[in-house]
Amino acid sequence: MLAKLIVYCAYYLKSADWYRSAKLFFYDLLENSHSRKKKYFDATMIALLILSVIFLIYDIEHEDSKMGGYFELAILMVFIVEYCLRGWIYSDTYKVIIEEYEKALYLNLDFNLLGVFRKAFVRDMEYITSPFAIIDILAILPSYRPLAILRIFIIFRLFKLFRYSNSAKLFADALASKRFELMTLLIFTCFLVFIASVSIYMFEYQATNSGIHNLFDAFYWTIVTLATVGFGDITPQTTGGRWVTIFLILASLGVLSFFTSILIAAFSEKMLSMRESRTYAQLERYDSFIIICGFGRVGQEIARHLQNDRQKFLIIDRVPERIELAKKRGYLAIESDASNNEVLINAGICRGASAILCITGDDVINVYVTLTSRHLNKNLRIISRANRHDNVNKLYQAGADNVIRPFEIAGLLAAEFVGQPVAFEAISGILHNQTETVMESVLVSEKSPLDNQQIGQLDLQQRKLTLLGVISDNPIHLKHKNKYQVKQQHFYFNPEVDFILRHGDMLVLLGRKYGIDHFRDQVEQRRLFSRKPK
Amino acid sequence: MKNVAVFGYNRLSFEAISRLDKELYQITVIDHDPAKATLARENGFETANIDFRSDDDLKLIGIGAHIDTLFCFFDTDSENVFLTLSARALDKQLNIVAIVDSPESAEKLLAAGANKIIDPYEICGRKIHDMLKRPDINDIFDHTVFGRHDLHLAEVTIPENSYLENTHVTELQLSSQYNLILIGIVNKQVSEQLHFVVEEFDRRLSVGDILVILGPSREIRAFKKDVENEFCKI
Repeated sequence: MLAKLIVYCAYYLKSADWYRSAKLFFYDLLENSHSRKKKYFDATMIALLILSVIFLIYDIEHEDSKMGGYFELAILMVFIVEYCLRGWIYSDTYKVIIEEYEKALYLNLDFNLLGVFRKAFVRDMEYITSPFAIIDILAILPSYRPLAILRIFIIFRLFKLFRYSNSAKLFADALASKRFELMTLLIFTCFLVFIASVSIYMFEYQATNSGIHNLFDAFYWTIVTLATVGFGDITPQTTGGRWVTIFLILASLGVLSFFTSILIAAFSEKMLSMRESRTYAQLERYDSFIIICGFGRVGQEIARHLQNDRQKFLIIDRVPERIELAKKRGYLAIESDASNNEVLINAGICRGASAILCITGDDVINVYVTLTSRHLNKNLRIISRANRHDNVNKLYQAGADNVIRPFEIAGLLAAEFVGQPVAFEAISGILHNQTETVMESVLVSEKSPLDNQQIGQLDLQQRKLTLLGVISDNPIHLKHKNKYQVKQQHFYFNPEVDFILRHGDMLVLLGRKYGIDHFRDQVEQRRLFSRKPK
Repeated sequence: MKNVAVFGYNRLSFEAISRLDKELYQITVIDHDPAKATLARENGFETANIDFRSDDDLKLIGIGAHIDTLFCFFDTDSENVFLTLSARALDKQLNIVAIVDSPESAEKLLAAGANKIIDPYEICGRKIHDMLKRPDINDIFDHTVFGRHDLHLAEVTIPENSYLENTHVTELQLSSQYNLILIGIVNKQVSEQLHFVVEEFDRRLSVGDILVILGPSREIRAFKKDVENEFCKI
């Protein structure tokens, strides 16, 4: 009966939306390093921790401070709740129950509730024995006032800070990655300390004026000498003792240099990921940015343009030299493989990325990155590069919005140049803003003075603007001639004077930049003015 | 008919050649890789088996004589620079279009005498930037002017005895008469520079001026025909 109830509860939790969303909320708050909530939470916790330590120190000097007591109690509650929530997030007990239940059902065995609890308990123990969880529990202990000795654990509250600081985590990770080397060094050091302590004790114990009266003195002297600190409070008096000192000083130089080299190696290895995480942190501050996969010639060109536009972007490339170049130019860059889901997710493909450019020189990678990006984000704008003509369709199939072929465009321009160099220079100058004359679009927004107005009434010639055409998806214009289908819209080239503009239409104008801007501003001002009386 | 010599048969030169009207251009393809030369021959292009390092060989295919345009489309910049230098020495009037791989080679090619440098990566980068910045205008141009639709840019030179001689720009009224848009004018006697119509005061057209126009090819043809007609009246 109890087993049935538990299984029922497990299935209920599995299907309950509130449960899932609650868990997700707390996961974002406590564990998800990409969530904004976690950042605020971490900052609050750091502030609480520092305050709690300040209060505890104050408490040592001022016994029975009431305010301190209440505050301590409140912080303690927060810590306990946090500890429990982390334990809750760590494992999904209901999943274990369902899995075991279904396994039993399939194999026609009895559902063993005890076995399930054992499994769940093992999972819980995994959490309880994890280093951070131990620090958490030790940080709670000092609040148990009757046992004054527990106050020594006050220091663990400060260790708890590690949990909320990424750089501290990286420091710990760096050390953890060199566990074997550090362990070897530790064993060697222990031997050294043992031998040196015993030796100095033997030589110095009976010497006159000797500072060593017991084994602890010998141990203290060994550590002080080993650390190359040498306070000079205990100095060897016998020749034997001096020989031990010489031996210990030389050996401790070796130990320290070995330790330093391990640390340096660990940090230089970790540096890359540290830099990467800093890049991600910087990226999180951007609301809208573009991801450029591939920093070859094309990527460099785009980055230059985007930089001029002050548009935010992130570069991902596998080649270290290219990433170095990107960083030298002050761009945000990650040395990684963009075909990896995790890399793109970390890069914010589902968060702030407005577009991704798959522009490496290898079509296989471009197709793969395009597919991955489309799979991860349905609404993202994807522009991909096809180096071979046959791969264009594959890229569209993979989900690219636009496919660009560098050699085709270059070939086209070369042919265009041969036929009509003047026209070619004119149009490429306009298109690429190399001349003072530019081509821009002006939108006819709702309630704009342009709405329902005839082209002939616009007075464009007086404004020194040339109207090339109108882009519109409004079916009302379909009766007009000179229309060219462009995607879901039509381009009405050289519209007649009686062409009536509707909101949503876009005028394609040729003229000086400030001429077009002035026209746009005037239209907008008139639109706002006409709204005021309402 | 114009004669074009294409050095280097690759993706880029293939695209460029395919865009040229076979009835207007006589194309000769040259590549030192026999496999590529064979491929070009199989694709129906006239090929020549010469060594581009030798001036005599270059003369043999008509550089310095009947070749009007030279495409230096080799994969390496040094070869293109060498070819440009050799060809320019043989013919001062030759129109040389060269492709560049590394951006620092552009200056060398220009110094060697190339008229136009094509940097595929730079063009591609600019194009993608355009796609991001103003997708609407980019799409329009891709689909109409450079794409499948029949909308083209053209340049029309005003010949002698044309009815346009001594007329004013404002009198042209191309958009109502021909469904064409006049983008700009080059006054050849003054400079090669294009003056955009929107900026110009009303000026008088003279022989040799080049009109840059945009419109459907049928209208362009009609306009070109009328321009040559002395008695056509607006």
